[in-house]
Amino acid sequence: MTEFYATGIFLFVLFALLGSSVWIGLALVGVAYVGMELFTARPAGDAMITTIWTGASSWTLTALPLFIWMGEILYRTRLSEDMFRGLSPWMRWLPGGLLHTNIAGCTIFAAVSGSSAATLTTVGKMSIPELRERGYPEYMIIGTLAGAATLGLMIPPSLTLIVYGVSINESITKLFLAGVIPGLVLAGLFMAYIIAWYYIKKDQRPAPEPSMSLSQMIKESRFLIPVMILVFIVIGSMYFGWATATEAAAVGVIGALSLALAQRSLNMKTFTASLMGATRTSAMIALILMGASFLSLSMGFTGLPRALAGWIDSLDLSPIVLIAALTVFYIILGMFLDGISSVVLTMAIVEPMIRQAGIDVIWFGVFVVVVVEMAQVTPPIGFNLFVLQGMTKHEISYISRTAIPMVGLMILMVVILVIWPELATWLPENVRNTPN
Amino acid sequence: MTSWPDFLGMPLWIWVFVLPSVFTVLARFFRPQAKQILSPLWRWLDRVYTASGVVASFFMVLILVIIIFQMMARWTGVTFEGSTEFAGYAMAATSFFALAHALGHGAHIRVSILLNLNHFTRLWLNAFAMFIAAITATYFARYAIKTNFLSEMLNDRTQGQDQIPEWMLSMFEMVVTAPWNWGQIWSNTSEAWVYTPVWVPQLPMSIGTTLLAIALWDHLIRLLVNGESDIKAETVQ
Repeated sequence: MTEFYATGIFLFVLFALLGSSVWIGLALVGVAYVGMELFTARPAGDAMITTIWTGASSWTLTALPLFIWMGEILYRTRLSEDMFRGLSPWMRWLPGGLLHTNIAGCTIFAAVSGSSAATLTTVGKMSIPELRERGYPEYMIIGTLAGAATLGLMIPPSLTLIVYGVSINESITKLFLAGVIPGLVLAGLFMAYIIAWYYIKKDQRPAPEPSMSLSQMIKESRFLIPVMILVFIVIGSMYFGWATATEAAAVGVIGALSLALAQRSLNMKTFTASLMGATRTSAMIALILMGASFLSLSMGFTGLPRALAGWIDSLDLSPIVLIAALTVFYIILGMFLDGISSVVLTMAIVEPMIRQAGIDVIWFGVFVVVVVEMAQVTPPIGFNLFVLQGMTKHEISYISRTAIPMVGLMILMVVILVIWPELATWLPENVRNTPN
Repeated sequence: MTSWPDFLGMPLWIWVFVLPSVFTVLARFFRPQAKQILSPLWRWLDRVYTASGVVASFFMVLILVIIIFQMMARWTGVTFEGSTEFAGYAMAATSFFALAHALGHGAHIRVSILLNLNHFTRLWLNAFAMFIAAITATYFARYAIKTNFLSEMLNDRTQGQDQIPEWMLSMFEMVVTAPWNWGQIWSNTSEAWVYTPVWVPQLPMSIGTTLLAIALWDHLIRLLVNGESDIKAETVQ
């Protein structure tokens, strides 16, 4: 029974620290310390540093700063302007017209950046004013953008997937490749939604775009081609086993730098800004990971993960019920925490559970990303909502209402993933042997 | 409070936890004086945090360089022993050196839902959170330094294949040795390469966590003296 009270205290401290707005990484360290003191006689401080040092100096983690840097460089290039110009000639023919540039733009930028907020800003900076000018309804512009920007978390490079892979010790390359097809399917769902809107709400259609010749189309999109090449090099080199995830990231940084140089948008100022920005973001995630590694050590002593896994096992749930329960759990958690924090906070408990239930961990990584993506657009705390509020000056409540259909599509995506798990597992299983 | 040895006649925990707390409370009660005395220190500390961030960014470039060399080595059939360990050390250095810098720029994330309720929570909940964070970070830094010292005392070596030249080690040792013993260090230094002692790559951990702890106490005091936090979040991270 004392175990029970100790667990209660442990969870109370966790929520108290997080709720009182202690920085998440440090809150996790604090909770883990309390857990160590409650459940074990081992000296907490020494165990903490041993765990944190091993985690913080690990080779797998090096992919993180490099991918962040790559995104930061491209974020500061003229890519944002080129994105709309390059994509719109190809999208104007689709039912739903230029709204599709939101989706396609986010998909492309997601493939060079692991951050949802950067994806949102890059695409939205140009597409919001352009779409407004052409008379597309505001709720469609904002909603599709808010939803599609979450693809930044799913399509590789994905910071959430790196963090997930580091937490459970799985290959980052495999996780990245697992995210490709589901990411494209989700983008397809968003596009289908726009097409449905086009046929259902006929009165909201804006005037059709003037026609354009093929040569002109290619001319307009010439700026996008280098980015597409970069995407294929980064993902292709992982798929064909030429490079590890970290090496692909290094290639990506070099590619992004040369691209920026060719565009003449690289100077000392943007270089420094991208470098310092990436350093800060990487330190932010590293601090959370440090806290999380200490927390999972401490959590092991509480016996909570084992007890929960055993309890779930004794319930004899089918994997589908378990996944449904976890979906609800992560959506609730995601209302208050960002994706990366939700993943690191829960992995110590959830990992034994899913392994016990025989769920593929690579597949689960993609599943987790889809559900924490929803967290980006669900109030009261949703990072994309804040970014969009800054960009459009709408109320958070309005923005989150426009994003509700997108959340619905993401839930549909979870169902699709459950029905066809091969979407996530096929590509990584067919990957060529990777070095290291 | 176990394993807190005495330091200058007082247990160490009084020095690192109680004194900063007392100082923080005093600063709140004597706000004008504190502002006057501390303002030059604040400007100086800000420069230290930025410098530490710049150092961190150098290590990030170093990760890139190491990995590119590793790839080139593999393509040309040359072996680059310990490249993964070196990249890992650079990773740790990037993360730890940037901690304080990231804090000042509002890059570290927190659940701010209660924080933004009203003026009262914006001051006092923020102060509470910073106080807890400062205590935690101080604890973190204290053990980082302890582990760092232990690694040096036990002469803990890397588990990997990474080696560094012995003269490089001697240069680091000079920093922590009295000048009259420097001759002895260099007379014992050979041209050989040695397996990396763990304490060298652990130095950034000690420095970075200490800076983070200082930064948190610093920002807490600034919050209480100025009545508002100087940590401004940037829109996109």
